[in-house]
Amino acid sequence: MKRWSGRRAAAALLVATASGLGGLAPGAEPTLVTRALAAEAWRAEFDAICAKTQDAMALPLDELKSLVARSDQLLPELEKLETSQRKVYVKRLQGCRNLYAFVLESRQKGS
Amino acid sequence: MRPLRLSGPSRLLLLLLALPALGMKLPIPHLYGRVVMNNGSGKAKVPSVGFDHWRHRSQFTCRLCHIDIGFAMAAGETHVTASSNRSGYHCGACHDGKTHIRGQTVFPSCSGASTMDETGSCRRCHARADPARLEKEYAVLAKGLPRDKFGGIDWEKAEAEGRIRPLDFLEGISIARAPLKNQREITIQSRGSWMTDVLFSHPKHAVWNGCEVCHPDIFPNTSGAAHYSMMSITAGEACGACHDKVAFPLADCSKCHLKPVQ
Repeated sequence: MKRWSGRRAAAALLVATASGLGGLAPGAEPTLVTRALAAEAWRAEFDAICAKTQDAMALPLDELKSLVARSDQLLPELEKLETSQRKVYVKRLQGCRNLYAFVLESRQKGS
Repeated sequence: MRPLRLSGPSRLLLLLLALPALGMKLPIPHLYGRVVMNNGSGKAKVPSVGFDHWRHRSQFTCRLCHIDIGFAMAAGETHVTASSNRSGYHCGACHDGKTHIRGQTVFPSCSGASTMDETGSCRRCHARADPARLEKEYAVLAKGLPRDKFGGIDWEKAEAEGRIRPLDFLEGISIARAPLKNQREITIQSRGSWMTDVLFSHPKHAVWNGCEVCHPDIFPNTSGAAHYSMMSITAGEACGACHDKVAFPLADCSKCHLKPVQ
């Protein structure tokens, strides 16, 4: 499920809305649409976290702490992905998380 | 003590004598940076994959493959499989028979064919090394590109002169990011008074890499007081994670030790 274009994401959202399947009743099996939405959610959060690696040195300490915490929060979601996707995205997320933690530590030592 | 001033031939002789002692070797350009990937090939009874970094370096940044596509920097850590390639990850991120790079369709990897003979594309990667063919192909690629003192392509110069324009973004996989802001140059003091200091350039490294390629895995020290030795570097630590493997060889001392002694 790679290469989510804006058009595909919009289509998934449209189908979900039209079908009234935006939410999932307790105990209900996830449908293709809800799975697609969940996939889009982790990818959006992943992109938001890792988009700031190039700016890491300039980020405020609070933001660095928040990015580390968000990475730790997202990791269990990525652990649930299918094998190939998990291998790639867990590694990528750890790279981002470790960089933020590294910059945070070096800035705290320097201050 | 002032640095030694040696003539060209004396410098070359000294270099040739010193290299083996430091564990360095002179590179053979067309074989330099070759990685053999053999995670599952043996089990599948197909030849292992010979990956030549130089084929890809002219087209892509290190960062694109080692960060966005998820190839590890150390052998055996990526866990590439035919299945991950077929799912559109690792080699399959580009090699899917659909992706277009600079107007050309990238041939597919790991098609799922039951035998190697069903598709010619298997053998483009799963093939034993043929040094004569590699040498010829390297010469074709290197034609018109600047060379270093060992005959290899000077990638830094090629990029600076606009002869190559490595891609750093792959649609659907990469994340749009601002260019790297930290453009600091760092002086690393040489331990030997006969050797000039190292001038480490973040800007030069940032052309090819993002921060997370090097930090914290390769350079974990945050105190600014890290010590490096040529022994540990030739063993693959710090600069040696890339240099002497793929990036320019350590034997090219003056590329790093370039700060004049004060």
